[in-house]
Amino acid sequence: MAKAASGRSRRVHHTENLDLLPVMNLFCCIIPFLLLSASFLQVTIIQMSQTEGIGAAGSGAVANLARSEEDRLQPKVILTDEEMFIGTVAGTAHVCYSFTQSVDGVETLTYDFDSLRTKAEEVYRLLTDAYPMIDFHKVTILTVEETRYDNIVAAIDACAEAGFDQPGLQVAPTASVERATEAAMSR
Amino acid sequence: MSAPTKRHLPLLLGYNKSKASVRGGKKKVEVQLTSMIDMFTILIVFLLESFSADGQIVTLSDALTLPKSRTQTPVNLRLEIQVTNRVIVVDGDPVVAVDADLLSTGNAIPAVVTRLRDHMEYGRRLRGTINEEDTEINIQGDVAVPAILLQRVMASCSEAGYATQSLEVIKLEGGGTGNG
Repeated sequence: MAKAASGRSRRVHHTENLDLLPVMNLFCCIIPFLLLSASFLQVTIIQMSQTEGIGAAGSGAVANLARSEEDRLQPKVILTDEEMFIGTVAGTAHVCYSFTQSVDGVETLTYDFDSLRTKAEEVYRLLTDAYPMIDFHKVTILTVEETRYDNIVAAIDACAEAGFDQPGLQVAPTASVERATEAAMSR
Repeated sequence: MSAPTKRHLPLLLGYNKSKASVRGGKKKVEVQLTSMIDMFTILIVFLLESFSADGQIVTLSDALTLPKSRTQTPVNLRLEIQVTNRVIVVDGDPVVAVDADLLSTGNAIPAVVTRLRDHMEYGRRLRGTINEEDTEINIQGDVAVPAILLQRVMASCSEAGYATQSLEVIKLEGGGTGNG
């Protein structure tokens, strides 16, 4: 009489153990090397165009812009203590008001740079539609004297995303920037 | 030294070991390395991601915090100016202390211009000529530096003959603009 199957296999399964020690040795060599050569902060650069600071009267900036057609038409981002504007020689438009935010416990003035990017894209589209022969890259950041460096870089960044990737910097006294802005707004 | 007595044996062998295991001879103890290998693999993938074959060619001062930007233009090894709210450093040497007078006008700073001209003259004498790379300069500015100070430093660079000025920034992850 045949023996009923018990359901158990008589074969003994041997599980082969992998020798992981060489892998561990390799990892222990690679990890210190990679840790030493890793760069966690990558430094990049923003190449600035040549611009000059405008005088107290605020008229020098216009003279400097008349070098070429692109220079004449290039937009300006104007940062004052109260608000931010963008415009070309055709006129100036309000972008946003400044507001304070706490950075490391210090209250600092900043702006809505998303609005600037949107407006800059709009200006870029209008300029390229109106002047298809000109390849627009230049933009001037015109600020008052007290504007923080990180705000300038953020404004440059927003303009670069819109297509104006050759920034220049002009700094002027608050009074002359406000005068120039008022004059442009009234056009 | 005398052989251990029976009274000492439990102390040497440990209380938890049964007589059978003591008599059984050497037992191979295996360390579970799988989880450690998993962890190392993840670590290596992360480190390979941040691996830089070029190395860090710029030295960042502890005294300043660079602003963040999405620009992707890689930095080149050039003459460096470090600008903080306390001092202006040219090529590692403090040149001018920043005070209220320095922030009052927008012209070039004479001491910085002199130092930069000296550096350019040194390079010209060393190599006999000045090429385009010699007229490039990198500016490291602290985030809190006012625009007027930055403008004065840039004006000083222009006056000393450094026509191409670049602002060093920390690259933001997910950046997409190719400035310059």
